[in-house]
Amino acid sequence: MIKDFVKGLWRENPVFVQVLGMCPTLAVTTKCVFGLSMGLATTFVIVSSVVVISTIRKLVPEQVRIPMFTVIIATFVTAADYFLKANFFEISKALGPYIPLIVVNCVILGRAEAFASKHGVARSFLDAFGMGIGFTCALVVLGAVREVLGAGTVFGYPVMWEGFTNWIVMVMPAGAFITLGLLVGVFNIVDKRVKSK
Amino acid sequence: MKKLSINISPHIFSPVDTRYMMKGVFLALIPAVGASIFFFRMQAISLLIVSAFGATLTELVLQKLRGRKVRINDYSAFLTGVLLALVLPPSLPLWMAFLGSVFAVALGKEVFGGLGCNIFNPALLARAFLMATFPVHLTTWSNPVGVDTVTAATPLALAKFEHIIAPYLNLIEGNVSGSLGETSAIALLIGLVFLLRKKIIDHRIPAAFIGTVAVFSTITHLVAPGTFSSPIANVLSGGLLLGAIFMATDPVTSPVTVKGRWIFGIGCGLITMLIRIWGGLPEGVMYSILLMNALTPLINRASRPKRFGVANAR
Amino acid sequence: MPGDNIKKIFENTIVKVIVALAIVGAVSGATLVFVYNYAMPKILVNIARETEKGIKNIFPEAAEINDSEIKGLYDIADDTGKIVGYAFLAEGNGYQGTIKLISGIDANATQLKGMEVLESQETPGLGAEITTKKFKSQFINLSITHPIEYLKNRKPEKDYQIEAITGATISSRAVVNILNKRVEEIRKELKK
Repeated sequence: MIKDFVKGLWRENPVFVQVLGMCPTLAVTTKCVFGLSMGLATTFVIVSSVVVISTIRKLVPEQVRIPMFTVIIATFVTAADYFLKANFFEISKALGPYIPLIVVNCVILGRAEAFASKHGVARSFLDAFGMGIGFTCALVVLGAVREVLGAGTVFGYPVMWEGFTNWIVMVMPAGAFITLGLLVGVFNIVDKRVKSK
Repeated sequence: MKKLSINISPHIFSPVDTRYMMKGVFLALIPAVGASIFFFRMQAISLLIVSAFGATLTELVLQKLRGRKVRINDYSAFLTGVLLALVLPPSLPLWMAFLGSVFAVALGKEVFGGLGCNIFNPALLARAFLMATFPVHLTTWSNPVGVDTVTAATPLALAKFEHIIAPYLNLIEGNVSGSLGETSAIALLIGLVFLLRKKIIDHRIPAAFIGTVAVFSTITHLVAPGTFSSPIANVLSGGLLLGAIFMATDPVTSPVTVKGRWIFGIGCGLITMLIRIWGGLPEGVMYSILLMNALTPLINRASRPKRFGVANAR
Repeated sequence: MPGDNIKKIFENTIVKVIVALAIVGAVSGATLVFVYNYAMPKILVNIARETEKGIKNIFPEAAEINDSEIKGLYDIADDTGKIVGYAFLAEGNGYQGTIKLISGIDANATQLKGMEVLESQETPGLGAEITTKKFKSQFINLSITHPIEYLKNRKPEKDYQIEAITGATISSRAVVNILNKRVEEIRKELKK
């Protein structure tokens, strides 16, 4: 059971290994705090929809399971969107359309289809939670690298020396691709080292 | 017993190897390098050294890390560094030039698999990266000769935004503001003649590139002489000559077919002029070459010569 | 008969599919109504608070903010109840995406009282400088009897000119254009 949880963190990490859900990964990680909120919102959506889906999995007619899953996911996404708008207005403004776009994050539908529709509630929950946390961690790391180089801060706290020149490319889309590519490379190197031991 | 050595074709040995070509290009660059040192003094010397050193060091480290044969003595990384320095503004902080040279070799070349596998011209790619990273520093120009860093607009920016045309003689000598190696037309043309004589580059790309710019700007100049500068000014100012002679002709990132080279050159010229006239930037040579680099595989495929005696392939 | 059987199964599936989809749709719809009722008042408060904050920055003396008779305008009154000016929202295209501004004019509609950027996606370090105090303060008491003009690398000489941000002319121009367009509309409305 615990394996279901852990695999999303490293071995099947949605960002660094499966390379899924690239739209939010690349678009919102200009700052740590955006990566964190996007990750948490996604975790909320993935966990709650997967729990619902695995609960009703035996009642879902085979032919319409994808539309049904989508409706369930969309419900939770809309709820998350409203919640952020009501309580974290600034963050919601910064994330803009990317919160509603969680609907099309293939990590979520992927987990629903590949795991939750075939396994029990407890295991599906752990699986989704692991994926969500793995996704969040990846976004925060990506956001940290981009924020440090692009703005000289981490979570808004200055960490670079006085007179540091911001690398503007890092907060632009091109910087997201460069950073993600390099991080996937680093991930693979570490992974190989760990495996060969 | 001696082992039988098997080698794939071609078996003809030619003295024209990578090292020979790189050396040739470097010799052709000497007038431009000399002019940049003459006009920008210490700034030019330090930028050239830092950039060339950064590129070579990166190549060495990466090839060691990847467990490959170290081939820094083919001068290709060194040349990338020198070319990068020549397209940078003289007053750029040295660490930015170093970062650019690391980027050029690491993400412009080695990440694709090393020499011969890169899609984009590494020096220009690094300049585009620096342009996106430090836009303010990359668009701060200084006047030649003086050691002081008074901001001065480039001839193209002056022509575009203020409608001031730099004197042609200054453009030819290089006594204008601009990136290190682009200012002196005469030095670049000497390099061109040398490269053509030594048959290191093909005349088609520079001819098509510069020709297109000349024709295009003649038309726009005739239509609206007050708004658009003359073809002579367009050809001589900005990075056009440097780009057309040394960047667009990079054998790795430009087409191999005869027809393809014409298409490539014309495309570069068109994009350059479109950016210069209607774009938000005064200069478009860098982006035009990078965009055409991206199209190179397609051009190669589309312009594949027909085999003799074979009817339409499909 | 085998034909009947097939028909039956087919009908059953169709019914099942429809029922399942209807239930999911109804449940999710009901959930969203609940969420909407909880969140919407708070969201409106947030938006109003933000607009108010912008207006307070432009009109520090504002005591009362009311919707004006003219649509899209806010009447600003000081603590004696006298109208000191009008605030308005304006938006248009920037270098990247939409720029949303809040701005205000004095009661005679001859001067801009200031400008605040509510939303923008301009390039950080360049276009995003439109949100800095240095740029915004140029709009305080700017004359609007003449369209606003921007100058490049030169200090303003006339009272309707501002200095564009170095390297970000497009963003500066966007702000000026958005304001000019909206101010003209409003001046027309006010004259009626």
